[in-house]
Amino acid sequence: MSLFATRGLTVRFGGLTAVDHVDAGVEEGETLGLIGPNGSGKTTFFNAVTGLVPATGEVVFRGAPLPGLEPHQICRRGIARTFQASRLCLGLSVFDNVLIGMHTHVRCGLLEALFRRARMLSEVRQALKQAAHLLSLFNADLVDRGFDPVGALPQIDRRRVEICRALAAQPRLLLLDEPSAGMSPEETVELMKDLQIVREEMPGLSIIIIEHDMFVIEGVSRRVVAFNYGRKIAEGTFAEVARNEEVREAYLGRGSGTEGSARA
Amino acid sequence: MIGVWAVELGLFVLVVAALLAERPIAVGLTVAAIGILLLAARTSPRLWGWVATAFRTHRAAALAGAAVLALALPFFLRASPYWTFVATMALIYVTIGQGLNVQMGTAGVINLAGAAFAGLGGYTVGLLTVRLGFAPWLAFAIGPLVAMVVGALLFIPILKVRGHYLALVTIAFGFIFNILMNNLEFTGGPQGIKNIPTLRLFGHAFTTAPTLFGVTLPSHANFYYAALAMAALVTWLAWRLYNSWVGLTLNTLRDDEIAAKCSGVSVTRHKLLAFSIGNLFVGLAGAFYAVMVGFVSPPDFDFGYSLVMLSVVILGGLDSIPGVVLGACLLIPLPERFRMLHEYRLLLYGAAIVLMLLFRPRGLWPAGVRRYGLGSPAGSFGAAGTRAEGVGVSR
Repeated sequence: MSLFATRGLTVRFGGLTAVDHVDAGVEEGETLGLIGPNGSGKTTFFNAVTGLVPATGEVVFRGAPLPGLEPHQICRRGIARTFQASRLCLGLSVFDNVLIGMHTHVRCGLLEALFRRARMLSEVRQALKQAAHLLSLFNADLVDRGFDPVGALPQIDRRRVEICRALAAQPRLLLLDEPSAGMSPEETVELMKDLQIVREEMPGLSIIIIEHDMFVIEGVSRRVVAFNYGRKIAEGTFAEVARNEEVREAYLGRGSGTEGSARA
Repeated sequence: MIGVWAVELGLFVLVVAALLAERPIAVGLTVAAIGILLLAARTSPRLWGWVATAFRTHRAAALAGAAVLALALPFFLRASPYWTFVATMALIYVTIGQGLNVQMGTAGVINLAGAAFAGLGGYTVGLLTVRLGFAPWLAFAIGPLVAMVVGALLFIPILKVRGHYLALVTIAFGFIFNILMNNLEFTGGPQGIKNIPTLRLFGHAFTTAPTLFGVTLPSHANFYYAALAMAALVTWLAWRLYNSWVGLTLNTLRDDEIAAKCSGVSVTRHKLLAFSIGNLFVGLAGAFYAVMVGFVSPPDFDFGYSLVMLSVVILGGLDSIPGVVLGACLLIPLPERFRMLHEYRLLLYGAAIVLMLLFRPRGLWPAGVRRYGLGSPAGSFGAAGTRAEGVGVSR
C-alpha cells in the first residue's frame, strides 16, 4: 500500500474545475515529478492536499483520510511543503525561519516561555543545533549567518532555507512547488545537487516535486505525472511521459497523430 | 561600565532639569541640549558605535543603572507632585504599550480599542469596590481578567476578519463601550464611578505621603513605585514571551499566515492567545489607573486614548520591547511639558505617526533579531563534523 494516494481528487472554483478527478500516489522513499503547462492545476493539487483549498474526493495518507482537516493538522500528520513564490518571513532570522518548521515537535509552551526558562532554552538550543545541521547540508555559510535576517540572503539561499523549514518538520511527505522558479541555470544546478543531498540524507522521505525545468525533473524523479487542464494526462518514467503524444501536445501545441496516448 | 552609567546619569540629569525647569527659556535650553546631544551621537558613527557597543557589552550594568535612576526619580521630583503623576502615567503607558505590542507588533492583530480594554479593567475595579464592596486588591486582580475574557469573547466574531476590517471592528467596539458606559445606569452614566477606594500595602494607604530614608515624598510617589513595579513586571514578561517559541510563532503568523498554517501553527489559537495576553496587560493598566485617580468616567477611555496607545507602539517600534518603553517615556511627558500646545495634542500625535511611518517605519528603537537571550554567536550551533561535511558536499 502506498504512503500517499488520491482518488478522484477534484477542486472547483465556481465554474472552473482546476483539479479534475486526479488519481495519483507516491510510495515511501519515492520521488514523483509533477509536470504540466501553466494553469494545469499542479499548485492547486498541492493546495488541496495541504488543506489550503476545499476539495472533494479521497486523499489517503499513511492509511488515514485527510480531507476535512485544517492545514496545520495536515502538517502534523507529516506533510510539509514549500511554495512557488517564497513564503519566508524576510524580517526574521535564518534560524527562526527554520525553527518555525519544528513547531509541531515543540513541547514547551507559554508556561515554559515565561516561568521555566531553563527548560525552554535547552529545547531551543537543541532546535538551533538541528537547524544548523539542516542548513549545513546545503551551505555551511548559512549557519554562520543564522542570526541574519533572511531578507539579506540571495535567492538560492532563501530557497534552501525554505526547504530546510519544510524538512525541520520531519515530514514523511515533502511537497516542493517549483523550487527552481526564478533561478539562473547555474543556481538550478546547485539546487539539483541540494535535492540529491536530501535524497541521500533522508532515504525514507517521499517527495512530490513540481517543476518546469525538465532537466531537474529528469535528474531527481524516477516517475513522472503530467497534468493538463486539471486532469492527469500521463504517468510513467520520464522517458515514457516525454514521448507521450498528449504531453507533447500540451507543451508544444497540436501536432500530428493524437492516437495512442499512454494514460495510466 | 562606568561609561554606560555616565551616559545614563547625564541623560537623567538633563531630563529631570527639563521637567523641573520653570521658565520657558530654561525648558527650551534643556530640551535643545538633549536634542543636540542625541543628534550628535546619532550623526557621528564613532560616538554612536561606542555608545552602542558599551551598552551591548554591559547590558546588565545598563539595566541596573536604569533601575537605580528610575527608583531615584521621585526624590528629584518631590517638589512637584504633578510631575510625579506624569511619570506614573508614562509607566502606565509602558504597561499598555507592552500589551498592545504583543497584539499588533508581535502577532499583527490590530487593536484600536486599547482605551476600551483599559476601561474594562478600570470600570470593573470601580463597580466591584464601590457597588459590590469587594476588597480593593481583589477587584484590582479581577479587572484585567475581565478585560481579557471580554476580549476573547469579542474575538470569536472577529476571527474571520483581518487587516483593515479588524481595525474597524475594534474601533466599533471602542465606541460601543463608550456609549454603553455613558448610558448604563449602574456604571454611573456620564458621571462615572467616584470614590474608588485606594490600595493598602502592609497597612500603608497609597494616598498617604511616604517617608523614605528620612525624605517625605508626595503621595503620588506610592503609585509611581507601584507603577514602576507593574511596568517592569509586564516588560519582563513581554521580553520572555518575545524570546520564546511563542514569540516566534506569533511573528510567523504576522508575516505569513499561510506559511504558518503549513508549518503546523493553529492560527486561531495563537491569535486568540496574543489578543488575550495583550488585553490582560492593557486591562491591568486600566485597573491601576482607576485605583490611582479613584474615579472612572467615559471620557477617560475614549477613542483618542486608543490612538495615543497606538502611537506609543508605533513611535517606539512595532515588536520592539525597549521601543515601547522609549515610546511611552517620550510621548506621555512631552505634551505635558509643552502645555501651551495641549489643544493640538492629537494633531501632534498624528503628525508624529505619519512622520515615523514615512521616515522610520520600524520605529525609534527597531526590533532586532530574536536571540532567545542566549547571546551565543550563530556559528556555535553548527557542530564541527556536520559543517565540514556540508562544505564538502555543497560548494
